[in-house]
Amino acid sequence: MDERTSLRYELISAWCGPAFVITFVIFWLGFGHNLPNPSPALTATELATRYSDNLSQIRLGFIVSMITVCLYMPWTCVLAMQMWRIEGKSPLLASLQFMGGALTVMVVSFSAMYWAVAAFRPERAASDIQTLTDTGWLCIDLQYCCTTLQMVAAALVGLADKRTVPLFPRWVCYLTIWCGISFFPASLTGVMKTGPFAWSGVLSFYFPYFCWLCWFSTASVYMIKEVRRRITAYDGVKSPAGTFASGMSR
Amino acid sequence: MDGLSANMTTPRATDIRIPGDKDVWVLIGAELLTFGMFFVAFIGYRALEVAHFNASQTALHRNLGLLNTLFLVTSSWCVVQAVRAAREDRPASVARSLGIAILLGISFMVVKALEYTELVSSGVGMTTDNFFMFYYCLTIIHLLHVVGGTVILTVMWANARTGRYHSGNTKGLETGASYWHMVDLLWIFLFPLLYLVR
Repeated sequence: MDERTSLRYELISAWCGPAFVITFVIFWLGFGHNLPNPSPALTATELATRYSDNLSQIRLGFIVSMITVCLYMPWTCVLAMQMWRIEGKSPLLASLQFMGGALTVMVVSFSAMYWAVAAFRPERAASDIQTLTDTGWLCIDLQYCCTTLQMVAAALVGLADKRTVPLFPRWVCYLTIWCGISFFPASLTGVMKTGPFAWSGVLSFYFPYFCWLCWFSTASVYMIKEVRRRITAYDGVKSPAGTFASGMSR
Repeated sequence: MDGLSANMTTPRATDIRIPGDKDVWVLIGAELLTFGMFFVAFIGYRALEVAHFNASQTALHRNLGLLNTLFLVTSSWCVVQAVRAAREDRPASVARSLGIAILLGISFMVVKALEYTELVSSGVGMTTDNFFMFYYCLTIIHLLHVVGGTVILTVMWANARTGRYHSGNTKGLETGASYWHMVDLLWIFLFPLLYLVR
């Protein structure tokens, strides 16, 4: 593959980041009725009613979410390549980020799958629907550490990036570490059924999920910038007049 | 930190200087904001059931909380001594001060473990009531910060033993020190809020 094609794929993959955020908000949060999300304190019957009242939307939301969460994969790959270039010969942290991103996709995907299963036969016993909903929420809320490691790996490489124009500014790296740390309260969802630390609470849901999307969006901006810089540099070498540069970076 | 700057022996170009990596203050600011949210949530929930929160609070061991406050404040002081020693090119003293700070951090964890064990064995858990929900959640999240901070101190201690920190290189040490002071500061808010406010 020639370098120009390769750069174009990198750019498309980096743009998968914003595409993921938008589709996640629309389908997972919106159609999936996760804003606000169901409280763990709901009785089994209340929860079952919640599914049957919004059946089509919930089905659409989670089925599409399971497709669009895969946009996280090409994005993770671009970040891995960018980190690899910084790390050089032994891309340990790039690999860690790569694994973390891949597993994040599975964690998010499986949680949505449990809810899709719950919505598949809404006539089943309410207690079964509750079990599936519980499994989905604890799946996504207790297994955040894959994402935390992805973020910390990216931040550490970012901090070690000594180029004149680094991949991420240093403040973004520290923000990334903080966003990763902000997931910790989500572990408390394994115990709490009410209050701010329950899976529908401010400190275990709204805050960490906001931080995750915030980091993801910020990182996407800088990753896209980096790919654009490489495209400009490539076109500059190929045609010193820079006639291709404007066409490629559009 | 201003006190530190004032005590510096090496002259600097500017009077006001941010210690450590200036960007680490983004992390510290964000962490303080997060805990600020936790404190506001606690105060809000407490306002709804003040008498109940006060009653539950009596189950806590204030003396152990105070002991832990002393441990963290002293360890912060040790870290200040380590930074000062580095600026004055006393490498052995840097490592020694950091070593004591690490031991105090570990002591904090041990006391916290004792407290948790005691409370759990007396039948008080995270789901007992809203007071204990906050007590456990906030102190566990803070404890994770203490663990993380102690790991950072240990890395700095290992670096100090190789003589890495001296008057020409204090940035890394100051960065870690700033984080540790934040961990200490958070406890200074947590302790009165959970153990003392009535």
